[in-house]
Amino acid sequence: MPAELRQVIGRRARRQTLRGLAFASPFIIGAIVFIIYPVLASAWYSFTDFNLFQAPKFVGLANYQEMFGDSTFWKSLFNTLYLTVFGVPLTILIALAGAHVLNMPVRGQPLYRALVYLPTIVPVVVGGYLWRWLLNSQYGFLNYFLGLVHLPRPQWLEQPDWGKPAIIMMSLWIVGGTMIIYLAAIKEVPVELHEAAQLDGAGWFSRFRYVTWPTVSPVTLFQVIVTMIAYLQIFAQPYLLTQTRLNSVSGGPGQSMISYAMYLYQNAFVFLKMGYASAMAWALFLVTLVITLVLLRTSKKWVHYDSERD
Amino acid sequence: MKISATGRRRFLRAVAISSLVVTATALTGCASTPTSGPTEITFSYLWGGAEAKGLEKVIADFNASQSGIKVTGVSSPDFQKQLTSMSSSNGSFDISDNFGTTVGSWAAKGILAPLDSYLGNDKVNLKDFAPASLTQMRYAGKTYALPIAVHTQQLLYNKDLLAEAGVQPPKTMDELAAAIATLTKTDASGNITQLGLGVADMPTLLTLLGQASGCTWDGKDDKTPSPTNADCVKALNWYTSNVTDKYGADNLAKFTSGLGQYMSAQDPFYTGKEAMVIDGEWQAVNIPKVAPNLKWGVVDIPAESADLAKTTQVSTSILFIPANSKHKNEAASFLAYMMQDKPMLDFTLTLGNLPPKTSLLTNPAYNAVPNLDAWLKALTSPNAKSLASQPYSAQYTADLGTAFDDIVRGVAKPAAAMKSVADKAKSYDAG
Repeated sequence: MPAELRQVIGRRARRQTLRGLAFASPFIIGAIVFIIYPVLASAWYSFTDFNLFQAPKFVGLANYQEMFGDSTFWKSLFNTLYLTVFGVPLTILIALAGAHVLNMPVRGQPLYRALVYLPTIVPVVVGGYLWRWLLNSQYGFLNYFLGLVHLPRPQWLEQPDWGKPAIIMMSLWIVGGTMIIYLAAIKEVPVELHEAAQLDGAGWFSRFRYVTWPTVSPVTLFQVIVTMIAYLQIFAQPYLLTQTRLNSVSGGPGQSMISYAMYLYQNAFVFLKMGYASAMAWALFLVTLVITLVLLRTSKKWVHYDSERD
Repeated sequence: MKISATGRRRFLRAVAISSLVVTATALTGCASTPTSGPTEITFSYLWGGAEAKGLEKVIADFNASQSGIKVTGVSSPDFQKQLTSMSSSNGSFDISDNFGTTVGSWAAKGILAPLDSYLGNDKVNLKDFAPASLTQMRYAGKTYALPIAVHTQQLLYNKDLLAEAGVQPPKTMDELAAAIATLTKTDASGNITQLGLGVADMPTLLTLLGQASGCTWDGKDDKTPSPTNADCVKALNWYTSNVTDKYGADNLAKFTSGLGQYMSAQDPFYTGKEAMVIDGEWQAVNIPKVAPNLKWGVVDIPAESADLAKTTQVSTSILFIPANSKHKNEAASFLAYMMQDKPMLDFTLTLGNLPPKTSLLTNPAYNAVPNLDAWLKALTSPNAKSLASQPYSAQYTADLGTAFDDIVRGVAKPAAAMKSVADKAKSYDAG
């Protein structure tokens, strides 16, 4: 190829690259300014004593060491893991079961689907204050109904043992979003597979176990990871259920409802310990990363993709 | 179309020059100080609703009173926004408000501008201010904020319930203990149906009871967290033996869980579920509006000994100038105006708060609010004291709150709970 032609092709390729970068620049600049820079900055701040207003002072691993002796840090981590361990399976179970109910051919089904999804579009603050009243141990609807069926009426927001179940219940209130995604996945299950299984004498559980479950398993993996991350970062629900004063974090009785994100917020914006809060954020990132990697690794054994069947 | 290399360079040069011209023009337009006319400053305040309306009237009066400064009021009840605005070199406001407890932490971090040099120029007479109203304003020998309104605590009682039980308003801690015992009622199952002493805010109640027992929560120097102070622990023991242990933490939690919203028509003190409560002067304004039929009285906080009589806890609403304000002189002039009698009177009456200036405490304008005089008089008491405002205060308050919660739930004894706070205090920010 003549040198001149190579030069022309090279120029054209460079121009196309530049044009491509120019079109992508809104995202690239946004990602650098609003994601990459803050992430790198927080990594640096986690090794400093920083209060947002004065120059950060390098303190090495002091912030990470401080976590080990901080009882509230461990309390908030325990509470968050508790919410995740119980909240994620419950969310998946209820969403999957609910999706099957919403898939039944009954009259008025679109209305039921809309009703199930409705809480998802209610602002979380409105939902929070609504739940504070629903959970009121003497006048709340929840205890009223428990009383009707002669069940114990817990002091949801006053007893440490009941605070976390209350948060999970409030979080499950918006399970409709997950349910609708499952509904879409269930509708993708080929009818002929169900018919073939039925002809072979499979009951409803066997059809679910060997037909539906493998088909929706990629969606389940996605839901588990997304829901797990949401629970690890949970803030609004416990914050609103326990809030007593403006701009302060309560944590509920015996700090039984203080979540990791709440304590991180308290350190950053109430105590102005931005370095310690950054270290906490990175510790949470590492925990999230490890759990996600474990889930992805184990998923090879239980997640089935279309390409494998083909 | 093919563009030559020279043409492309010319085009890029033209774009660069145009960009510079446009940027320079835009920056000129952004300059906040016009070449003529009044200097414009922004007063960003956390208040909203009726309080914001009252404040806007004060701002309008100031703007009409002179021609050199124009104040624009912005209601922005967002603490985080206020904080982040002060973290950049160019802030969005020149003067703002918050609570006195923030002063020590913010001053230590360089967020606030020291006011001492401005106070002389603008003739703010600090000698007229109640001493307790200024304690939180100072840090490391400098004044960083001024109080626009203050708050004291007194004991409110339900006249009907006390008369029915034959109880006189208590004056000492022993009398208070006896009154709590008589006025707390339970049903046949042991469930509480009426509480002798209600709780408007647990940390305020317990720190105040500590003060009434001679406790200094921040040591003699007002700079050292001292939760294990013997008088503090004694006060907490008094509360547990007369309330928590006596009626049972679970029983109390069950009773309080069903109480109505604070300061609403269902407030437990307004509905007679609580016979007495320790609370601030805002109740004097709220009760006639929300519970006009309630017969109530107010007395000084019972104290352990005569030398601690008329103990009250003073808290403050403050005005400050952020260090990143570009118009500190003008902001200081407006701040000085707010410290004058009329603006302070108008503003505190709108909010139903107390003026920090002693010369205003006897102003007849406050007589229109029933029972307010009890809180006004409390401000001049030698035992009117505020909690310290130090760099560690936010963390100390949070840790005390957690410890108080453990105490009232009966899971920790006062001495052990305060010891845990003292242990945490070892790692507090010293400023």
